[in-house]
Amino acid sequence: MKEWRFIDFGLVDIRDMMAMDEAILKGDEGNTFFFWTPKKSIILGFFQKAEVELDLPKCKDYTITRRISGGGIAFSDDRCRQINYGVVGTIDNDLFPLDIIESYKQVCGVLIDTLVHYGLNAAFRPINDVTVDNKKVSGNAQTRREGKLLQNGTLLLDFDIEEMLRISNIPKEKFLDKKIASVREGLTWLDRELGEQRDMEEVRNVMKEKFEERFHVKLKTGTLSNNEKELAESLLPKYYSTEWVYR
Amino acid sequence: MELLKTKPGIHKSRGGLIRSFVFIENGKIKDITISGDFFLFPEEAVFKILENLKGTPAKREDLLRNIEDTYAKENIQSPGTEPSDFTESIMKALEA
Repeated sequence: MKEWRFIDFGLVDIRDMMAMDEAILKGDEGNTFFFWTPKKSIILGFFQKAEVELDLPKCKDYTITRRISGGGIAFSDDRCRQINYGVVGTIDNDLFPLDIIESYKQVCGVLIDTLVHYGLNAAFRPINDVTVDNKKVSGNAQTRREGKLLQNGTLLLDFDIEEMLRISNIPKEKFLDKKIASVREGLTWLDRELGEQRDMEEVRNVMKEKFEERFHVKLKTGTLSNNEKELAESLLPKYYSTEWVYR
Repeated sequence: MELLKTKPGIHKSRGGLIRSFVFIENGKIKDITISGDFFLFPEEAVFKILENLKGTPAKREDLLRNIEDTYAKENIQSPGTEPSDFTESIMKALEA
Protein backbone atom coordinates (compact mmCIF):
# COMPACT_ATOMS: atom_id res chain seq x y z
CA MET A 1 0.00 0.00 0.00
CA LYS A 2 1.23 3.50 -0.86
CA GLU A 3 2.50 5.65 1.98
CA TRP A 4 1.70 9.35 2.21
CA ARG A 5 3.20 11.78 4.65
CA PHE A 6 1.32 12.84 7.76
CA ILE A 7 2.24 15.78 10.01
CA ASP A 8 0.57 17.09 13.17
CA PHE A 9 1.80 20.65 13.71
CA GLY A 10 0.06 20.98 17.10
CA LEU A 11 -0.73 24.43 18.54
CA VAL A 12 0.64 27.05 16.13
CA ASP A 13 0.70 30.73 15.31
CA ILE A 14 -1.51 30.99 12.26
CA ARG A 15 1.00 33.11 10.30
CA ASP A 16 3.67 30.45 10.72
CA MET A 17 1.14 27.78 9.75
CA MET A 18 0.05 29.56 6.57
CA ALA A 19 3.70 29.87 5.53
CA MET A 20 4.22 26.12 6.08
CA ASP A 21 0.92 25.41 4.30
CA GLU A 22 2.10 27.26 1.19
CA ALA A 23 5.54 25.67 1.45
CA ILE A 24 4.03 22.16 1.40
CA LEU A 25 2.02 23.06 -1.73
CA LYS A 26 5.09 24.52 -3.45
CA GLY A 27 7.51 21.91 -2.17
CA ASP A 28 8.10 18.55 -3.74
CA GLU A 29 7.52 16.05 -0.96
CA GLY A 30 4.48 14.31 -2.39
CA ASN A 31 0.94 13.96 -1.13
CA THR A 32 0.57 15.04 2.48
CA PHE A 33 -2.18 15.17 5.09
CA PHE A 34 -1.69 17.44 8.09
CA PHE A 35 -3.37 18.85 11.20
CA TRP A 36 -2.84 21.99 13.21
CA THR A 37 -4.53 23.80 16.09
CA PRO A 38 -4.58 27.57 15.65
CA LYS A 39 -4.11 29.99 18.51
CA LYS A 40 -6.73 32.74 18.77
CA SER A 41 -6.84 34.04 15.22
CA ILE A 42 -8.68 35.08 12.10
CA ILE A 43 -7.69 33.99 8.61
CA LEU A 44 -9.06 36.04 5.75
CA GLY A 45 -9.85 34.43 2.42
CA PHE A 46 -7.78 35.62 -0.55
CA PHE A 47 -10.53 37.94 -1.84
CA GLN A 48 -11.59 39.42 1.48
CA LYS A 49 -10.70 42.88 2.69
CA ALA A 50 -10.01 43.08 6.41
CA GLU A 51 -11.69 46.45 6.91
CA VAL A 52 -14.82 45.29 5.07
CA GLU A 53 -15.25 41.85 6.60
CA LEU A 54 -14.09 42.57 10.15
CA ASP A 55 -14.93 45.09 12.85
CA LEU A 56 -11.20 45.74 13.28
CA PRO A 57 -11.24 47.68 16.57
CA LYS A 58 -12.88 44.61 18.13
CA CYS A 59 -10.24 42.24 16.75
CA LYS A 60 -7.28 43.68 18.63
CA ASP A 61 -6.47 40.51 20.56
CA TYR A 62 -6.67 38.29 17.48
CA THR A 63 -3.79 37.41 15.20
CA ILE A 64 -4.99 38.17 11.67
CA THR A 65 -3.54 36.86 8.46
CA ARG A 66 -4.66 35.96 4.94
CA ARG A 67 -4.45 32.66 3.10
CA ILE A 68 -3.74 31.99 -0.57
CA SER A 69 -7.13 30.36 -1.19
CA GLY A 70 -10.54 32.00 -1.49
CA GLY A 71 -13.57 31.54 0.73
CA GLY A 72 -14.58 33.18 3.99
CA ILE A 73 -12.95 34.02 7.31
CA ALA A 74 -11.71 31.16 9.47
CA PHE A 75 -12.13 32.22 13.06
CA SER A 76 -10.53 30.45 16.03
CA ASP A 77 -11.36 31.41 19.58
CA ASP A 78 -9.69 30.63 22.91
CA ARG A 79 -11.49 27.31 23.22
CA CYS A 80 -9.35 25.80 20.46
CA ARG A 81 -11.94 23.08 19.86
CA GLN A 82 -11.51 22.97 16.11
CA ILE A 83 -9.69 20.43 14.04
CA ASN A 84 -7.88 22.15 11.20
CA TYR A 85 -6.51 20.06 8.39
CA GLY A 86 -4.63 20.45 5.16
CA VAL A 87 -4.25 18.14 2.18
CA VAL A 88 -1.76 18.56 -0.61
CA GLY A 89 -2.33 16.18 -3.51
CA THR A 90 -1.34 15.76 -7.12
CA ILE A 91 -4.41 16.19 -9.33
CA ASP A 92 -4.72 12.80 -11.02
CA ASN A 93 -8.41 12.75 -11.95
CA ASP A 94 -8.83 9.76 -9.67
CA LEU A 95 -8.08 10.42 -6.00
CA PHE A 96 -7.89 14.15 -6.68
CA PRO A 97 -10.35 15.02 -9.50
CA LEU A 98 -9.66 17.80 -11.97
CA ASP A 99 -13.20 19.09 -11.53
CA ILE A 100 -13.06 21.56 -8.64
CA ILE A 101 -16.34 20.62 -6.96
CA GLU A 102 -15.62 16.89 -7.39
CA SER A 103 -12.26 17.35 -5.70
CA TYR A 104 -13.84 19.22 -2.79
CA LYS A 105 -16.32 16.38 -2.50
CA GLN A 106 -13.56 13.79 -2.43
CA VAL A 107 -11.55 15.46 0.36
CA CYS A 108 -14.69 16.49 2.29
CA GLY A 109 -15.62 12.80 2.17
CA VAL A 110 -13.05 12.26 4.93
CA LEU A 111 -14.98 14.63 7.20
CA ILE A 112 -18.31 13.08 6.23
CA ASP A 113 -17.03 9.55 6.96
CA THR A 114 -15.78 10.82 10.34
CA LEU A 115 -19.13 12.37 11.24
CA VAL A 116 -21.01 9.28 10.07
CA HIS A 117 -18.71 7.24 12.35
CA TYR A 118 -20.23 9.25 15.21
CA GLY A 119 -23.73 8.46 13.99
CA LEU A 120 -24.42 11.86 12.46
CA ASN A 121 -26.34 12.64 9.27
CA ALA A 122 -23.45 14.28 7.41
CA ALA A 123 -23.46 15.41 3.79
CA PHE A 124 -21.50 17.42 1.25
CA ARG A 125 -23.06 20.74 0.28
CA PRO A 126 -21.45 22.21 -2.82
CA ILE A 127 -19.34 24.20 -3.22
CA ASN A 128 -17.26 23.66 -0.13
CA ASP A 129 -19.29 22.84 2.99
CA VAL A 130 -19.96 19.74 5.05
CA THR A 131 -23.27 19.72 6.89
CA VAL A 132 -25.03 17.76 9.61
CA ASP A 133 -28.80 17.85 9.13
CA ASN A 134 -28.25 20.73 6.70
CA LYS A 135 -26.27 22.84 9.19
CA LYS A 136 -22.69 23.75 8.34
CA VAL A 137 -20.17 21.93 10.54
CA SER A 138 -17.09 22.36 8.35
CA GLY A 139 -15.80 24.99 5.92
CA ASN A 140 -13.16 24.17 3.34
CA ALA A 141 -11.00 26.16 0.93
CA GLN A 142 -8.96 25.01 -2.01
CA THR A 143 -6.30 26.44 -4.24
CA ARG A 144 -4.34 24.88 -7.07
CA ARG A 145 -0.87 25.29 -8.43
CA GLU A 146 1.09 23.44 -11.08
CA GLY A 147 -0.99 20.28 -11.10
CA LYS A 148 -1.39 20.10 -7.34
CA LEU A 149 -4.17 21.12 -5.01
CA LEU A 150 -4.09 22.39 -1.46
CA GLN A 151 -7.24 22.07 0.58
CA ASN A 152 -7.57 23.50 4.06
CA GLY A 153 -10.57 23.08 6.26
CA THR A 154 -11.91 22.99 9.73
CA LEU A 155 -14.16 20.63 11.66
CA LEU A 156 -15.95 22.46 14.46
CA LEU A 157 -16.08 20.61 17.77
CA ASP A 158 -17.23 23.76 19.54
CA PHE A 159 -17.93 27.26 18.23
CA ASP A 160 -18.67 30.68 19.71
CA ILE A 161 -21.20 32.19 17.32
CA GLU A 162 -21.72 35.34 19.40
CA GLU A 163 -18.00 36.10 19.32
CA MET A 164 -17.83 35.58 15.56
CA LEU A 165 -20.76 37.95 15.07
CA ARG A 166 -19.19 40.48 17.43
CA ILE A 167 -16.00 40.77 15.40
CA SER A 168 -17.28 40.39 11.85
CA ASN A 169 -19.45 42.46 9.51
CA ILE A 170 -21.79 39.90 8.03
CA PRO A 171 -24.34 41.66 5.81
CA LYS A 172 -27.96 40.65 5.85
CA GLU A 173 -27.59 39.44 2.26
CA LYS A 174 -25.56 36.49 3.53
CA PHE A 175 -28.66 35.14 5.24
CA LEU A 176 -32.27 35.45 4.41
CA ASP A 177 -33.72 36.45 7.75
CA LYS A 178 -32.36 38.05 10.90
CA LYS A 179 -28.61 37.76 11.40
CA ILE A 180 -28.29 35.98 14.71
CA ALA A 181 -31.23 33.65 14.21
CA SER A 182 -30.04 32.46 10.82
CA VAL A 183 -26.40 32.02 11.79
CA ARG A 184 -27.58 29.95 14.76
CA GLU A 185 -29.78 27.90 12.49
CA GLY A 186 -27.12 27.56 9.84
CA LEU A 187 -24.15 26.34 11.91
CA THR A 188 -23.49 23.47 14.22
CA TRP A 189 -20.59 21.63 15.85
CA LEU A 190 -19.75 18.16 17.04
CA ASP A 191 -20.11 18.75 20.81
CA ARG A 192 -23.61 20.10 20.28
CA GLU A 193 -24.66 17.32 17.93
CA LEU A 194 -23.34 14.58 20.24
CA GLY A 195 -24.40 16.25 23.48
CA GLU A 196 -20.95 15.59 24.94
CA GLN A 197 -17.31 16.55 24.43
CA ARG A 198 -15.16 14.08 22.56
CA ASP A 199 -11.43 13.96 23.04
CA MET A 200 -9.89 15.91 20.14
CA GLU A 201 -7.11 13.41 19.69
CA GLU A 202 -9.68 10.65 19.35
CA VAL A 203 -11.56 12.60 16.64
CA ARG A 204 -8.31 13.35 14.81
CA ASN A 205 -7.45 9.64 14.87
CA VAL A 206 -10.83 8.77 13.39
CA MET A 207 -10.18 11.34 10.66
CA LYS A 208 -6.79 9.81 9.93
CA GLU A 209 -8.34 6.35 9.64
CA LYS A 210 -11.09 7.63 7.37
CA PHE A 211 -8.49 9.42 5.26
CA GLU A 212 -6.50 6.19 4.83
CA GLU A 213 -9.67 4.28 3.89
CA ARG A 214 -10.87 6.88 1.40
CA PHE A 215 -7.53 7.35 -0.33
CA HIS A 216 -6.36 3.71 0.02
CA VAL A 217 -3.06 4.80 1.54
CA LYS A 218 -1.11 4.39 4.74
CA LEU A 219 -0.26 7.65 6.51
CA LYS A 220 3.31 7.76 7.75
CA THR A 221 4.25 10.42 10.28
CA GLY A 222 6.92 12.75 8.92
CA THR A 223 8.21 16.30 9.13
CA LEU A 224 8.88 19.18 6.78
CA SER A 225 11.89 18.68 4.54
CA ASN A 226 14.77 21.14 4.72
CA ASN A 227 13.65 22.56 1.40
CA GLU A 228 10.13 23.13 2.75
CA LYS A 229 11.50 24.69 5.93
CA GLU A 230 13.57 27.15 3.88
CA LEU A 231 10.56 27.87 1.67
CA ALA A 232 8.35 28.46 4.73
CA GLU A 233 11.00 30.73 6.23
CA SER A 234 11.10 32.80 3.04
CA LEU A 235 7.28 33.06 3.01
CA LEU A 236 6.97 34.15 6.64
CA PRO A 237 7.44 37.91 6.06
CA LYS A 238 4.43 37.90 3.72
CA TYR A 239 2.09 36.38 6.30
CA TYR A 240 3.28 38.85 8.94
CA SER A 241 3.06 41.90 6.63
CA THR A 242 0.47 44.67 6.61
CA GLU A 243 0.67 44.74 2.79
CA TRP A 244 -0.60 41.15 2.53
CA VAL A 245 -3.09 41.12 5.39
CA TYR A 246 -4.61 44.59 5.00
CA ARG A 247 -4.29 45.03 1.25
CA MET B 1 -10.46 54.27 -1.98
CA GLU B 2 -12.11 55.01 1.36
CA LEU B 3 -14.01 51.76 1.53
CA LEU B 4 -15.92 52.33 4.71
CA LYS B 5 -17.34 55.60 3.35
CA THR B 6 -18.42 53.99 0.06
CA LYS B 7 -21.70 52.15 -0.11
CA PRO B 8 -21.08 48.64 -1.41
CA GLY B 9 -23.13 46.69 -3.88
CA ILE B 10 -23.80 43.33 -2.27
CA HIS B 11 -24.74 40.26 -4.26
CA LYS B 12 -24.66 36.61 -3.24
CA SER B 13 -23.82 34.08 -5.90
CA ARG B 14 -24.05 30.32 -5.33
CA GLY B 15 -20.29 30.43 -4.71
CA GLY B 16 -20.24 33.25 -2.19
CA LEU B 17 -20.82 36.87 -1.32
CA ILE B 18 -19.45 39.65 -3.55
CA ARG B 19 -19.21 43.18 -2.15
CA SER B 20 -18.28 45.81 -4.74
CA PHE B 21 -17.05 49.32 -4.05
CA VAL B 22 -17.22 51.40 -7.20
CA PHE B 23 -16.15 54.95 -8.00
CA ILE B 24 -17.59 56.43 -11.19
CA GLU B 25 -16.36 59.42 -13.20
CA ASN B 26 -18.04 60.65 -16.40
CA GLY B 27 -20.13 57.48 -16.63
CA LYS B 28 -17.08 55.23 -16.53
CA ILE B 29 -15.51 53.15 -13.78
CA LYS B 30 -12.65 55.12 -12.30
CA ASP B 31 -11.84 52.76 -9.44
CA ILE B 32 -13.22 49.47 -8.16
CA THR B 33 -12.53 47.13 -5.27
CA ILE B 34 -14.23 43.91 -4.26
CA SER B 35 -14.32 41.85 -1.11
CA GLY B 36 -15.92 38.44 -0.83
CA ASP B 37 -15.84 34.81 0.22
CA PHE B 38 -16.17 33.36 -3.29
CA PHE B 39 -13.61 31.13 -5.03
CA LEU B 40 -11.79 32.01 -8.23
CA PHE B 41 -8.84 30.28 -9.91
CA PRO B 42 -6.18 31.43 -10.52
CA GLU B 43 -6.66 33.79 -7.59
CA GLU B 44 -4.38 36.57 -8.91
CA ALA B 45 -6.62 36.94 -11.96
CA VAL B 46 -9.08 38.89 -9.81
CA PHE B 47 -6.67 41.84 -10.07
CA LYS B 48 -6.86 41.58 -13.87
CA ILE B 49 -10.66 41.67 -13.70
CA LEU B 50 -10.55 44.84 -11.61
CA GLU B 51 -7.82 46.50 -13.68
CA ASN B 52 -9.63 45.79 -16.95
CA LEU B 53 -12.88 47.23 -15.60
CA LYS B 54 -11.30 50.64 -15.12
CA GLY B 55 -12.46 52.96 -17.90
CA THR B 56 -15.40 50.70 -18.79
CA PRO B 57 -18.80 52.42 -19.20
CA ALA B 58 -20.87 51.77 -16.09
CA LYS B 59 -23.55 49.84 -17.99
CA ARG B 60 -24.57 46.25 -17.42
CA GLU B 61 -23.76 44.96 -20.94
CA ASP B 62 -20.36 46.69 -21.07
CA LEU B 63 -19.39 45.42 -17.64
CA LEU B 64 -20.48 41.87 -18.40
CA ARG B 65 -18.64 41.77 -21.74
CA ASN B 66 -15.51 43.18 -20.12
CA ILE B 67 -15.53 40.59 -17.32
CA GLU B 68 -16.28 37.75 -19.75
CA ASP B 69 -13.29 38.84 -21.86
CA THR B 70 -10.99 38.68 -18.83
CA TYR B 71 -12.41 35.27 -17.89
CA ALA B 72 -11.57 33.95 -21.35
CA LYS B 73 -8.13 35.55 -21.53
CA GLU B 74 -7.05 34.46 -18.04
CA ASN B 75 -8.71 31.02 -18.14
CA ILE B 76 -10.67 31.82 -15.01
CA GLN B 77 -12.74 29.20 -13.20
CA SER B 78 -15.00 30.27 -10.34
CA PRO B 79 -17.31 27.50 -9.15
CA GLY B 80 -20.74 28.87 -8.30
CA THR B 81 -19.88 32.40 -9.43
CA GLU B 82 -20.33 33.74 -12.97
CA PRO B 83 -19.26 36.98 -14.68
CA SER B 84 -22.93 37.98 -14.39
CA ASP B 85 -22.65 37.74 -10.58
CA PHE B 86 -19.80 40.26 -10.51
CA THR B 87 -21.82 42.43 -12.88
CA GLU B 88 -24.86 42.24 -10.61
CA SER B 89 -22.78 43.22 -7.57
CA ILE B 90 -21.35 46.24 -9.44
CA MET B 91 -24.81 47.27 -10.69
CA LYS B 92 -26.06 47.19 -7.11
CA ALA B 93 -23.17 49.43 -6.06
CA LEU B 94 -24.14 51.89 -8.80
CA GLU B 95 -27.73 51.95 -7.57
CA ALA B 96 -26.64 52.34 -3.92
